[in-house]
Amino acid sequence: MNRRLPQLICGLCGVLMFLLFFSNHPLAKAVNQTALDYWQIIAAFALLVGVVGFARIHLKGIRQGSDIPFRVVGLTGMAAMPAVAIIWGIGGDSPFMWLFENVQAPMQSTVFALLAFFVASASFRGFRARSFQASVLLGAALLVLLSRSSLEGFSSSILSDLADWLRNNPSMAARRAILIGIGLGSLTTSLRVLLGIERTWLGGSR
Amino acid sequence: MTTGTLVAAVLTVAVLTFLYRDNPIYKMAEYLLVGVSVGYVLVITWTNSVMDLLLEPLSDGGHFYLLAPFALGLLMFARFHPRTSHLSRIPLAVLIGSGAGVAIPAMLGPRVMKQVSESVAPLFAAGGSVDISGLVVLVGLVCTLAYFYFSRVRGGVLGVAAKSGTFFLMIFFGATFGYTVMSRMSTLIGRMEFLLGDVLHLVR
Amino acid sequence: MISLSTRHWSFLGLFVVVVVAMLSGFRPDIPVTSETRKLFDYIDSLPSGSVLVVSFDHEASALPEIRPLAQAVVRHAFRKGHRLIGLALMAEGTVIGYRLMEQTAREFDRTYGRDYVYLGFKPQNIATMLSMGESFSQTFPQDYFGAPYDQLDLMKGVNDYRQVAAVISITDGNMPTYWIEYAGARFGVRICSAMTAVMMTQFDPYVSSGQLYSLIGGLRGAAEYERLLAVGGGGARGMLAQSASHIYIIVLVIIGNVLYFRTGRKGRGTV
Repeated sequence: MNRRLPQLICGLCGVLMFLLFFSNHPLAKAVNQTALDYWQIIAAFALLVGVVGFARIHLKGIRQGSDIPFRVVGLTGMAAMPAVAIIWGIGGDSPFMWLFENVQAPMQSTVFALLAFFVASASFRGFRARSFQASVLLGAALLVLLSRSSLEGFSSSILSDLADWLRNNPSMAARRAILIGIGLGSLTTSLRVLLGIERTWLGGSR
Repeated sequence: MTTGTLVAAVLTVAVLTFLYRDNPIYKMAEYLLVGVSVGYVLVITWTNSVMDLLLEPLSDGGHFYLLAPFALGLLMFARFHPRTSHLSRIPLAVLIGSGAGVAIPAMLGPRVMKQVSESVAPLFAAGGSVDISGLVVLVGLVCTLAYFYFSRVRGGVLGVAAKSGTFFLMIFFGATFGYTVMSRMSTLIGRMEFLLGDVLHLVR
Repeated sequence: MISLSTRHWSFLGLFVVVVVAMLSGFRPDIPVTSETRKLFDYIDSLPSGSVLVVSFDHEASALPEIRPLAQAVVRHAFRKGHRLIGLALMAEGTVIGYRLMEQTAREFDRTYGRDYVYLGFKPQNIATMLSMGESFSQTFPQDYFGAPYDQLDLMKGVNDYRQVAAVISITDGNMPTYWIEYAGARFGVRICSAMTAVMMTQFDPYVSSGQLYSLIGGLRGAAEYERLLAVGGGGARGMLAQSASHIYIIVLVIIGNVLYFRTGRKGRGTV
């Protein structure tokens, strides 16, 4: 029963949403809207579950004595955001905005900026023409980079045209094949889920 | 320089210290970032979703049908206790079932059928002659799909097509690498603009 | 004692290249690509007062690249007198989108509620997109600040996608796929996108099939758009550094390969 009921609900929800996708009947539209409301609300709770999970993991870590100063900083940061939001709100000049704009956003974008350095290192140490395929990859990459570096008066239109042709034809064809593959994969997985063949989302047999 | 700029500058440099090697300053910044991000998600989800989609309509009265998703949402938290964790599968079933239900028409029509038809349609130019670029796209599509076809031993035409498929894939990966470099450099430039401009006032 | 490896030297080289390029203060003119011009022309051709949905579907990590792009597009829309509905389908885009719209609206003396509104964040992107196709007011009963939908003048004439000229997804991820396959395919709304460069090749099939009307990408796309607008901005400021860093990477790849072939292909480099 622990697994049958969720499986049944999953199948019913799936079939319902599938049928509602095509219908324009007012009643179907009303049901669809209610179902979408349910979906959104449950998804919001799923995000909150993630928040609770984060807090639990770090509180457990503190109890076990591992990385205590770091975990305390993490939990303090987590608690600070709702605290300032409750006291001062989330409007334009609130401390919540201040924390986002001066703590979260700069750090997060800097973490991503680090990747620029690792790309440089990888280009030097790993990006080698070891085979014919690797040479094609290398050539396409360098062509795109060069064409996107072009400055007016210095650029070569042949280079840009060639890079655009590569992107819009052979490269696009490969991406389209991947897209179709993913589409067919998602389609069959969805059918398997609805028919109860795919059950991995149910987790262990507890 | 404002306090905010100073704080952002210190934290930016703290993250950049990772370039030398992993260190406690970076680790502290990392934990702070994750903590603040989680707190941020909590606030935005609560104020922008739970309040206006659920709690306010419920408190205004007349929206009792919302008690059902509320109960299902609360069941999500059952996963934190071993004895009740199986109950969290019920709201999960709603999420997964709904997603699977709407995915079928979306994957079939706008994705697979539309992409296939768009690969064949431009093959012939207006005068009836074959469009070379269109032919390249069609050949590239078929060969790349052949590369991902693992249900038969590769040999003969399938083998040649699959091998040609790698050529198209490499062009795609190469172009994507080029754009990835662009993207990462843009992010770095943005952070440098902050350090050199807002903090040190060396560029405007 | 600080010891530097090859990796560190390549880091240092990139740092020097970017800093020197930025300090030079030179802002090169760059050619405008057809894909950037297509979005510009579309927004330019819409009658004044058209309603555009701008969806901030990105995280804070992409901010340095996304902000100049989003700013250029929003500026253009305000300049042409279009009315904007801002929203976010990723939590982190919420605050960023709000701040950007508020600041840009101030530049053009636009009034909140009449010329633009900000609806904030809703979870589960597919449900939100499908729900907006049925009713905006049901999907977003309140704006970002908790003001009821019916108190927002702009929203009084907007019930669903039929009143919207286009959805512009500002993104660093896969969100336009969902906009295309759910909102676009189901309700026929036009989808455009401004995205990080890394995502651009992922969407080429959709551009080719016409499902994604147009896309612009990266700092370069922002610089091109700024040029069309004839205004300065983050895109134009970064263009020399962008080009210089590309050249630096190309040089590193060439040196790496020359060393690889000279040592008899024995080098097995790691990152």
